Amino acid sequence: MTTTPRLHWWISLALLSLGGLMAMIFLGPRQSLPVLPRPPEEADVLRVAYAQKLLPDPHQRTFPVSAHNHFILCLWEPLVECDPATGEPRPAAAESWSWSPDRLALTLKLRADARWSNGDAVTAQDFERGWRRLLRQRMDVAQTLFALKNAEAFHRQTMTDPEQIGVKAIDLLTLRLELAQVRSTLVAELADPLLAPLHRDGAQALAGNAYVDDPGSLVTNGPFCLREANATGYRLQASPYYHGRAEVRLAGVRFIRANTSVAPLLLAAGVVDVVSPALGEDRPSPTNRAVRKETELVLAVNSIAFNVNRGPLRDVRVRQALALALDRAGPIARFNPGRMTPAWSWVPDMPGRTGLVLLREDGEEARRLLADAGYPAGRGFPILEMSLPLWMKPDPYPPDWTERWYRELGVRTHIIYEPASVRAQRMTPIGEYDVLYGNLIATVPDAGDLLSGFLWPAEYSETKWSDKEFARLMNEANRKTGAERLSLLEKAERLAMEAVPAVPMMFEQRQALLAAEVQGWYADPLARQSLKRLRLETTATMNSNPGPRL
Amino acid sequence: MTNGDSIDPVLWWRDGRIWLSVWLAGTIGLGAVLLGDAWPWLAGEPQASFRDTKLNSWPLSALWWVLVPAGLWLQKNLSLVDRRWPWAVILHGLTAVLITGLFIILAGGRMLLANHLPAGYLPVMVQDLRWLGGWNYTPALVYLLLIFALYAFSFYREWRAGQRLTGALRVANAQLETRLVRASLDALKMQLHPHFLFNTLNSITSLIRNHRTREAEDVVAGLGELLRRSLDHKQEARVTLEHELEFLHRYLDIESIRFQDRLRVEFDIAPQCLAAQVPGLILQPLVENAMKHGISKDPAARVLRISAARDGTRLLLTVYNDGPPLPKDDAELARGIGVQSTVTRLQMLYGDDARLRLRDQAPHGVRAEIILPFQTVSP
Repeated sequence: MTTTPRLHWWISLALLSLGGLMAMIFLGPRQSLPVLPRPPEEADVLRVAYAQKLLPDPHQRTFPVSAHNHFILCLWEPLVECDPATGEPRPAAAESWSWSPDRLALTLKLRADARWSNGDAVTAQDFERGWRRLLRQRMDVAQTLFALKNAEAFHRQTMTDPEQIGVKAIDLLTLRLELAQVRSTLVAELADPLLAPLHRDGAQALAGNAYVDDPGSLVTNGPFCLREANATGYRLQASPYYHGRAEVRLAGVRFIRANTSVAPLLLAAGVVDVVSPALGEDRPSPTNRAVRKETELVLAVNSIAFNVNRGPLRDVRVRQALALALDRAGPIARFNPGRMTPAWSWVPDMPGRTGLVLLREDGEEARRLLADAGYPAGRGFPILEMSLPLWMKPDPYPPDWTERWYRELGVRTHIIYEPASVRAQRMTPIGEYDVLYGNLIATVPDAGDLLSGFLWPAEYSETKWSDKEFARLMNEANRKTGAERLSLLEKAERLAMEAVPAVPMMFEQRQALLAAEVQGWYADPLARQSLKRLRLETTATMNSNPGPRL
Repeated sequence: MTNGDSIDPVLWWRDGRIWLSVWLAGTIGLGAVLLGDAWPWLAGEPQASFRDTKLNSWPLSALWWVLVPAGLWLQKNLSLVDRRWPWAVILHGLTAVLITGLFIILAGGRMLLANHLPAGYLPVMVQDLRWLGGWNYTPALVYLLLIFALYAFSFYREWRAGQRLTGALRVANAQLETRLVRASLDALKMQLHPHFLFNTLNSITSLIRNHRTREAEDVVAGLGELLRRSLDHKQEARVTLEHELEFLHRYLDIESIRFQDRLRVEFDIAPQCLAAQVPGLILQPLVENAMKHGISKDPAARVLRISAARDGTRLLLTVYNDGPPLPKDDAELARGIGVQSTVTRLQMLYGDDARLRLRDQAPHGVRAEIILPFQTVSP
């Protein structure tokens, strides 16, 4: 009779060896690991981690926005850029601009010294060519130009003559824009990276990713040009013909593809110098590389939209009750402390304008309003249908907020996660849903941009809410500038928040992780930091480590 | 290939070699696809990236293709320790932990390669995966479920094998029992034949002494026919009543020569009973007893009546003689070879479903009754 298993000795040995090896890995050193030295040829090359697919095509948009903007703005230069501190537009490819007396036409004078990366002069025709191409792209990017006369009709192909579009090259260096209606934010909108010009050979280089095999074929007008593109990222080098070449301190920029969760580790290991945006919680660094965190407010609002065409939601008292019953700070503290902040108005803080405090939370008042509307303690209130995209399933906020409605008001909500195609069918002019949750991102540092969401036609509007006075105020604001405009926008915002077609819930704070040697970083609420302004101040010892293959 | 190596076309799926071949082919194919896809990266081509290879993008669950045979093999080996079940539980638990650890390390390794980090960062990556909720414990669950299923299947197979063995043993036992009964019956018949033969030969001797040679010849001829039929009887444990009665006719033909005109034989046989199955030579000992202890003991006795009737599911066979009553001594009655052997044969063939009863019948005579199940041979 045996008392031990009759196992072959080598099975036991194999299991023990495997277990020992695993134990070594699981219990291996996780601190004070060596920082990978910067390769000598990359002494002045900024290395940026990005997670999702990036395309060097300025007329397509990829996400996250910050990585897209940084990459595109390295390669391309729009007509203007916005001052991150004041939000005011300032010259980029255009050196000056002037409005017509009726403010329906804008004439821009391009820099005479602007050059493509192959040395060709950047002309007004290049912008005209680029923008016409943009209008042939998908609606989500093409709409950037819808302020121009006939632009939307050209995109929808109800008008096919490109000469009728409100963008015209008057001469080599003069571009004239004609607007469908007055729009005071137009110049700031021209800083959008989507509004890049296109070299006459550009479309060919972008078609079929020809730039992968021949990076030099992609001619760009930005501070950097493409040197290499492959599956692991892009290598850019300073463009020798860029008009501001003297101010560019970097020899190049490498965009290195990395998993979002691993990017901070790459920074600590010395593989990259910038991680933006940095997501997830802070974790102990395995190395002693000095890293700093930069935080900036995002010009966007996360909100709950009510379909004001549906049932009890037609009653403003019901919408106010639902808004008052919510809790913002609690869920943020549980789910995203440091990354989200409660939203008490529709427009967050932005350059030149501090956010207002227009909303509050008051469960008792919410119950009173709901009772006044005929639903005491939620009795008789129909179940609300909240449609969310499938990818939003892990998002903990909607279940938390709707649970709050039930606890405070007795209002039940059915959250439906469904594919985009099914959700699209719900987006009729009337809207086949009660509640939506989403986020609206500004493209210009201006309160009017976010507020204009309430002016969208019913076909696109999530709330289906419209108000003549609100429209009047917004139109009036579009004709004004400065304090006068801000005052009108504030009135419009107050009006919208009293009607509660949507409840602003959270504003986001974007975080970037930077190596200590990265200098010149600045906060930009639109995440349009121009990397040409950064520099590396490194004292690290160079060696011959080639780093990751690119 | 010898007969022993040939594969039963019906049970091919039980052949481990086929599954091993499939697994080997699959593993080679899988390896070829993965390596072929990753070759540009392995060869250091500038446009290639580990991130875009199937090695990185294919789900790690593909690893189960390699692990399942190892699991099967391990389960087979560890099943040796089944009687020490705590050991088996511990070893399977450890294996589950090791497999889970392997999956986690491979996930970490993939992240490492996809993000251009050196191998020294693997422990950090593995711990980062934990922070990110990337420690997937599903492999442990899958392994334990697999092992559970294997044990369940193994136990089921053993149970089925046991069932089959029990069935086979039962059949073998029944066959053995049948052969034993047949052997016993033959042995009993062998007891009967000499007894009958002795009496008949005595009769023949008596006939010859009395110069009744013609009758002696008839008896010898009848005896020959009887012995022939008797030999036929040995092949079958049961015969039809009709067959048994024919045999009895031959026997009584001999006996009637002995008793000359004094014997009157009456048959009262219900027609439906002729096809009934009865043990061979079951009536002959009773008839012989009726002749020996009844008719031959009383000069006035002369009637021998044989009857057969059906009573529902039972067959009632009766042998009556109008001779003297039964002896009072039960022991003497029971010692008679004919009665004893008949009782034994009925018991062996029918158990408690058959019985023999001897009793006096008023005003005189003795009646022997056999009650047994009414059975016929299905056409």
